[in-house]
Order: sequence, then C-alpha cells, then structure tokens
Amino acid sequence: MADAFTPDGASGAWALEALGLGKRYGRGWALQDISFRLPAGRICGLVGPNGAGKSTLLGIATRQVQPTEGGLRVFGVPVDDPEVMPRFAFLGQDKPLFKRFTVAETLRMGAELNPGWDMAAAERIVRSGQVPMDARVGTLSGGQRTRVAFALAFGKRPDLLLLDEPMSDLDPLARHDMSTLLMSEAVERGTTVLMSSHMLTELEDMCDYLLVLAGGRIRMAGDADALLPAHALVTGLAPGGDPAAALAPHTVVEYRVQGRQFHALVRTNGPLSGDWVVSEPSLEEVLLAHLRSPDVPPLFTPGARTEAEGSHTS
Amino acid sequence: MTTTPTEAPRTGRTPGPRMLRGLSWLVVRQHRAALLSLLAVTVLGSIWIVYERSRMKDFLDAAGWPGKELTQPTYDGGGAGLVMAALGGLPLILAVFVGAPLIAGDQEQGTAQLVTTQSVSRLRWVATKFAWIYGAVLVTAAVLSALFTWWWKPYRSVFSSSWSDGSVFDSTGPMLPALCLFLTAAGITIGVLARRTLMSMAITFIFAAAVGVFWSEMIAHLAPTRTITYPLEADMPSRLNESLEVDRWIGSADGHLYGWGLCAEQTEAASDACVKEHGIVNNVYEYLGVDQMPAMQWTGAGILLAGTAVLTAFVLWRVSRRPL
Repeated sequence: MADAFTPDGASGAWALEALGLGKRYGRGWALQDISFRLPAGRICGLVGPNGAGKSTLLGIATRQVQPTEGGLRVFGVPVDDPEVMPRFAFLGQDKPLFKRFTVAETLRMGAELNPGWDMAAAERIVRSGQVPMDARVGTLSGGQRTRVAFALAFGKRPDLLLLDEPMSDLDPLARHDMSTLLMSEAVERGTTVLMSSHMLTELEDMCDYLLVLAGGRIRMAGDADALLPAHALVTGLAPGGDPAAALAPHTVVEYRVQGRQFHALVRTNGPLSGDWVVSEPSLEEVLLAHLRSPDVPPLFTPGARTEAEGSHTS
Repeated sequence: MTTTPTEAPRTGRTPGPRMLRGLSWLVVRQHRAALLSLLAVTVLGSIWIVYERSRMKDFLDAAGWPGKELTQPTYDGGGAGLVMAALGGLPLILAVFVGAPLIAGDQEQGTAQLVTTQSVSRLRWVATKFAWIYGAVLVTAAVLSALFTWWWKPYRSVFSSSWSDGSVFDSTGPMLPALCLFLTAAGITIGVLARRTLMSMAITFIFAAAVGVFWSEMIAHLAPTRTITYPLEADMPSRLNESLEVDRWIGSADGHLYGWGLCAEQTEAASDACVKEHGIVNNVYEYLGVDQMPAMQWTGAGILLAGTAVLTAFVLWRVSRRPL
C-alpha cells in the first residue's frame, strides 16, 4: 500500500482527495473549505459532534449529495464521474435494504448490479452470522440486518468502504462481531475505510487515520500516530492566571485554571521547557479538547492536506 | 470469457431460470406486486368485458334488435355502466397506486440510496423502471381498450352514453392507453418532486381529478367543427342524430346569425313576430360528427403522449443531473 508521507504523483495513491469542498443547505454551510487527503489502505475515523458535517461529507463521497463548491476525487477520479461507482461501497446510518427481499435476493441484487461481485465472500459473511438465506430482510434483527448490509458492501469488492455510524444501533456483542468482521475483511483485502462514529473507543481501537470535523470545518486530519504525539498535557503554576504567554511558542488548545495551578493541552512546537509536569494525552482528551475549542487553527499531519493550497495552515 | 459446452449448469445455483438480469431483474422483483396486479387487472378485466358483451348480445338478440325497436331506447342492464366507470377510473388508479410510489417510495425508504451506491447509474436505474412500468401500463390499457372498443362499436346506439361522452371517448381506441400513460408519468414526476409516498399519492389524486375535469372540456376542441344549415321549420337531418352539438343558432336569409333563444317569447304570436321581424329562415347547427371520432381520439392521444414524453424526459434529466 502507498505510504502516507510519500505521494508518488499518481493520484491513485489517495483514496480520497478533497479540495475546497463545501456544501450549502439553505442559508447555512454544512461543510466549508474542506481540503484533505486520505491515503489508500488506511482505516480512517471520521469524528465530530452531531451536525459537524460527517454525513454530508460521506454523502458527497457516495454521490448522494452534490457539493456546492470544490471537488472530491476517489482514487483520482472525480466523484461525479460514474466510473467511481464500482470502487466504493457505502453503509448508511439506517442501512436501507428492500424489506420484502429475502437475504438471498438481496445478495442477488448485489450480483446483478456490480460487475466485480464476489458471491462467495458475501455468502460467507451472511453464513458466519447464522442468518438464514431464505428469511425476508424485514423479519431480521438489527444485528442480522447490519450483517446483510455488510455482506452487500463487501461483496462489491470495493477499494474504499464508507461507513456512516455503522454500529450505532447494535448491542455490544453485535458491535464487537461487526468490528471484528470489518477489520478482518478490510485488512485482508487492503480496503481503505472511512468510518464516522461517536464511539471514541471504537475509533481508538480500529483507526490509524483521523479526520476531525466540527462546525463543517476540518479540525484535525492525519495519521493517528502522528496527531497524538503532537500534543502534550501540561500542568504547572500560572502566576498571572493565563498560561498562554508562558507556554509560547506552543499552541494552547485548551486550558483550565484551578487556583494557582493550570492544566493545559498544548500542541507542542519544539521541546517543552519550564517547570511543568508534562504527560501524553489520550486520543479522547485530544479529540475533546479540539471539539471544544473551535478557534484553534486546524492541524494537519504531513501529506494529509491537499496541495495546491495551504494558505490557511498555521 | 470462453464458451464451453458445460457452461449451462453454472446457472443451476440460483433456483429457477434466470430470465431477467441486472436492473430488469431488480425492477421486476421490487415491483412484483404492482406488475402482477396489472396482469390480474388485464386478465380479469378482459373476462369481465367479454362476459358483459355476451350478456348484452343475448339480451338484444332476445329482444329482436336491431330488427325491432327496444322498449327502452338504451340498454342499461348488466354491468355496462360499471365497466365504463371502471375503465374511466383506471388512469387515476394507475397514477395514484403505480406512478406516484414508483420512485418516491425508494426515496422515502432509503432504497434509492441502496441502489444508487451499487455500480449502476441513477439514470439507468430510473430509465429501467420507466420501461417496465410503461410497458405494463400500456399492455393493460391497450388490451382493455381494444376489448371495450370491440364491444362498443357494433352496439354503440344502445349504450346509454354517446360516443362523445368521456366514459366512451376516453375508454376506446388509443385514448385509454394514452390517458393511462400520461397520468402514470404525472404520478411518477410528482413522486420524484415530493419525495414522500403518501403526499405524492394525494397530490397525484388531485392532479388526476383536475386533468379529468379539464379533459372533458377538451374533447370538443380536438377536431374542427362542422356547420350545417337547414330550414327553420324542418327537422334536423337524421344523419346528425349521433353528432355532438357544439353550438346552435338561427339565421336570416342573408346569413346573419342570431342566438338560439332570440325569439323564445312567452306566446307563440310574439315568437312568430320576432322571427318575422329578423327575417329568420334557417337553423344553423355546429357539430362534431361521429365519423370524426377516430381523428379526435388520435389527436387527443397524441397530445397526451407528447405530455408523457415531456414528463419522462424531465424526470430522466433531473435524475441524471442531481441525486435522488
């Protein structure tokens, strides 16, 4: 798989490439100024509060939503070109299926509509969940229906799998089953995955790439392994009450003052010098701090930002 | 792919022969109930029409018609009126129950998202839906219309409705298929725009009812009218018995026309005086003849089919331009 940090010029190395993407609904912007790159072969978590624009972004990537401005490429092909259709599979929030179809008929639909259909893989996924092939989809439980939807998505043999909160309506056991299934199928085939989720722990376990949205804009994008060490939790004395001056040149994402003491999450810029207690934050702490502080400039790890612009980078 | 003699058994994995493939299979499977209903309507409707026709024939044979006059001028027995009411309601029923939910149902249930994230384009999917549903509607309407026309033609003088009545005019010849296609197209279009099944069905119902009212006014405008002048005291020529009256005047010898009611006075003397005063000598009758019916029906069907084409093109254009 392509290395995240060495774009080789062939745009196919990027599973997704957004440049200045924006979507306007009525008066408000659901997404604005979205530029990022997702290298092929990664499992990317799409994080953000409700209304951050996650579903809109996935909608644009699956041709369900037309962007107001900017463009998105899937493996180098503009998303409005029908050629991208066989390359991605999508699992929506409510996993719509034809309720009157049987499971077998649902898989047959996949076979009829997709040139690269892999019936063996799809049947294996359904069978491993003990879902009867002749049952009507409307009579299945939530977990079974999700499994059928997964089978339909993986049977398509996609290079990019887009998931919109795939586990949100599952019980913990089914969620665990589905996560395992997702990871094993994706790793086995080198599928790029972009998955939105509220479950931070879920993301921490599964994702090696992160895209953080808030208020329709990108807050952070890049390698999970690089995003985390870029931050530090600092505890120290704040004589003036505002530690920002003392912490320069580091970027303070969020801070809290308790008496004479402050706790701050900073984006480090060089070594931290000073009489402070420094610790490494968890992914959850970094995400929450960024989601709570919309004014902090967005953070991109190298390669995660689309080239040909970059004037907004701090 | 190489063709080998042993290729046939490979399809044996799926039960039954795979007669349909790709989008056609999906559309037929998804709309199986609607398509089977149309088939049932075609078969049962055909049997009903044939049965009612034979009942009418038996009755008329027993009465000695056409050698003897009927005791009543028209035949109202049996289900003739019911058949005509059913045929008259068919376009509206198709529009509301087949047209409106066709795409709106997928938009509402999210299955439009399911299908359009497979590897086929929206345009191809919607075009396939159109092809199957139009085909089924056309077959149903054409068969029923042909059978009803076969019943009505030899017995038209004993039907209680005249040829220019909507119940006959819209149910014979090319009119029934054209009306069914047009209103189905309207239902599909309304559905695509409204995106909600129930709402689009309600709007389609109102639209189809409005079209029905408008169309009954349109019938008299589908062909140029003819005018005949005959003496004031004479009876109307009997060949005009079946004609559709568009207007009627009284005229003077120099060709001046007056309204029919001009000399409708309270006493006969006053009427005669009025007739004399204006020099009225003729009846002038503007009409559409029964022989004009086929031309009128084809003109009407042409208008409706053009409307169908416009609506279909609009939906396909819209679907190809923007997501459902």
